[in-house]
Amino acid sequence: MKKLLLTTAAVLLATGVNAQEITVGAANVSSYLDPGRDHSNVGSQFYYNAFDTLVGKNHDTLELEWRPALATEWELVEPTVMEFKLREGVKFHNGDEMTADDVVFSLNRMYQASFAPYVVRSKDRLGNFAEATKVDDYTVRVRVEREEPLWETLMNLQQVMIIPEDYTKALSGDPNVAEDGDYEAFSLAPVGTGPYRVSDFQPGEKVVYTRFDDFWGDKAPLETATVIRIPETASRITALKTGEADIVTNIAPDQLDLINADPNLKTEGSATALFHVMIMNVNHPHLKDPKIRQAMSLSIDRDLLNEALWLGKAVVPSTHTMKEMGALHQPDLVTFEYDPEKAKALLAESSYNGEEIVFDAFPVYYTNGVLAAQAIMEMWAEVGINGKLNVTEEWTGNSPDLMARSWSNPMYFADPFGSFGVMWAPEGPSEGAGRFNTDEDYAALWEKFRFSADVADRNAAYAKLMDRIKQDPPVLPLYRPFESWAMNKAVNWAPKPGHIPYVLDFRAGSISLSDS
Amino acid sequence: MTVYVLRTLAKMALTLFVIVSLVFFATRLSGSPLETALGEGLTEEDRTMMIEYFGLNGSIWEQYARYLRGVVEGNFGLSFLERRPVADIVAERIGPSLQLLASSLALTLIVSLPLGVLAALYRKSWVGSAIMTLAFVGYAVPNFIIAIFMILLFAFTWNLLPVVGNGSPAHFIMPTIAMSGVLIAALTRFTRNAMLDVLGQDFMRTARAKGLPESVVVLKHGLRNASVTILSVLGLQIAGLAAAGNVVVEAIFSWPGIGELLVASAIQRDYPVLQFGVITVAVAVVTINAATDIAYAYADPRIRLSRG
Repeated sequence: MKKLLLTTAAVLLATGVNAQEITVGAANVSSYLDPGRDHSNVGSQFYYNAFDTLVGKNHDTLELEWRPALATEWELVEPTVMEFKLREGVKFHNGDEMTADDVVFSLNRMYQASFAPYVVRSKDRLGNFAEATKVDDYTVRVRVEREEPLWETLMNLQQVMIIPEDYTKALSGDPNVAEDGDYEAFSLAPVGTGPYRVSDFQPGEKVVYTRFDDFWGDKAPLETATVIRIPETASRITALKTGEADIVTNIAPDQLDLINADPNLKTEGSATALFHVMIMNVNHPHLKDPKIRQAMSLSIDRDLLNEALWLGKAVVPSTHTMKEMGALHQPDLVTFEYDPEKAKALLAESSYNGEEIVFDAFPVYYTNGVLAAQAIMEMWAEVGINGKLNVTEEWTGNSPDLMARSWSNPMYFADPFGSFGVMWAPEGPSEGAGRFNTDEDYAALWEKFRFSADVADRNAAYAKLMDRIKQDPPVLPLYRPFESWAMNKAVNWAPKPGHIPYVLDFRAGSISLSDS
Repeated sequence: MTVYVLRTLAKMALTLFVIVSLVFFATRLSGSPLETALGEGLTEEDRTMMIEYFGLNGSIWEQYARYLRGVVEGNFGLSFLERRPVADIVAERIGPSLQLLASSLALTLIVSLPLGVLAALYRKSWVGSAIMTLAFVGYAVPNFIIAIFMILLFAFTWNLLPVVGNGSPAHFIMPTIAMSGVLIAALTRFTRNAMLDVLGQDFMRTARAKGLPESVVVLKHGLRNASVTILSVLGLQIAGLAAAGNVVVEAIFSWPGIGELLVASAIQRDYPVLQFGVITVAVAVVTINAATDIAYAYADPRIRLSRG
């Protein structure tokens, strides 16, 4: 027994809970680190520690509380032009000082993108942003095409975090020109202005953050934070127990009791700002009648799925909305509900003749994804829908043969535009894939919701959009999955409500280590 | 002799060409990277742009020609995800995999040869039965069961051994045992059977009649003659393990090896990584086979003679 205690003590010392060092065991580690081209759930974990945006945010609250970050103040100088005063004396991790040139370079690499991954990423959320121009070394102007109601929100995005111009351009080829190769090289050797620099990066394996002493704001609380990939859940939990990791990510609800039973460990969790959804192809010959799709949606008892698969910890929405959206959160709208009797009645009225309806699902990508799909097949059968589950690694969302499948709608930023708006915009990814149709009326509503200066107008337009979705449904949000992190009790950390999903925030005020 | 070497090299080149081509077409048959999770939420226009960016435009024959040109120039392409040369990625992973393979091989030889010989010598006593029962159980239990069971005991419950990565010698203990389990079981059985064949031969009786000590009789005259069978079994098993047979063990112990890399890149359809990874493994298998051939020659002089 004495030997065991010694081993435990040695491991604790080795992981250095007292030395302001932590190790995070993550289910996945990014293959590249470039805040501009990334919007994956895996990637979102990594950027906030090492990069800054012009406009900052108070992440302790659900309210939208903007704060100075790399810009100290900003004001609208014309209806479509915002002027930003930059913070002076900000250093990049490579020692370069940040000036207007870096900011203009970073913003225009997205606003006027030529690198294909940037083009793809900027189109869906930054389409209204025309250009950034330098006024003087510490003043930058950003021009938009149409008056923008979401200035701060869209200046706070991960995609417009600031990177150094000279460093990036010199990474490959001509040091004075920004080439594709420069951006590709940057994503393996990222440099930002955040409180930690990325001191070691092994793609897909490991990210090491080291405190950056020249950071412009409050100093980082940790000397180093190492994130390593531990793909297997049992191994992640064991690593936490042996002290090889201090925090581990992606813990399924059924593991929580096991971890909380250990006196040295605890869990933190929240309903992630992301919907697991079912999408339906409105253009499939068998599904053209909206009544069939309404029945597919009305027959699913989402509360039961929540109870059975998530121990009631997930959040089932009545419409496509999230509380993170502040004044634009509309929980009173009822777009999606469970009503098997109505589903039966609609089916009877519809053109449905018992055709097989195939539901595609990824085998492991979404937690509980296959179990939910299996349950949905049973619920469909209850009302007389002949469903068939097809578990496949393939993304079938762009195929004309798609009937229904599982997908997710993340909240890319705290606004309905950052979730429903991106995915279901006219000409957006869903319509582009050929499984959703919009018309002039829908487009007009969408424009009003996206660009109205008045919140009440935006909400009214959004309610009408939701009504369109209800009448002719292409999507059903199932629930916000409950995501948990497990950690050593000496670690004081929890996901903050103001972040987008999955962010590992180790900045001052977000994490501390107790002496154990 | 020169002719023999040249012929062998030509055969190897042809084998590798066939493998390169097969891998190229097989990976593309399985779907495009834009049909996995990477393609979520892309419009048609975006997809066209990304297809061009990844160099997946043009007919499959044009892509094949481009790829072969690259291979001849020693340029195997960039990973779709990481955007760095695939050779760098695979180079990072091959070392840890080989280390694990070497330690498993060592453990297998140290454990199964003595056990096999003992099982043959004491085949009628409880010792032989016990060893064979163990070998049978070892053969029947999959490596991930052994791995998880060890983790439960030695890490989760007693906290004696680390479970993550390949940082220290202690990290090798559990993955090595998990990897060797089936191999030890198989080799123990083959060693026993090979020894039984040899033990009944006339020259064994002669050796004993000469008054040689029993240890010399068993080890020099017996085991040496049994070794040809043992080597061929071992060669096949190692080739199997090298060909990504260690995926599960690598995943469980977060071992940064090549098996895990291959599976991940297959799922994400990261063709360049998958192609180069498979080619690397193929080269390794071909090399191991050649090494086994040479080892045969040492074990059995007749093989050397017959090749001239």
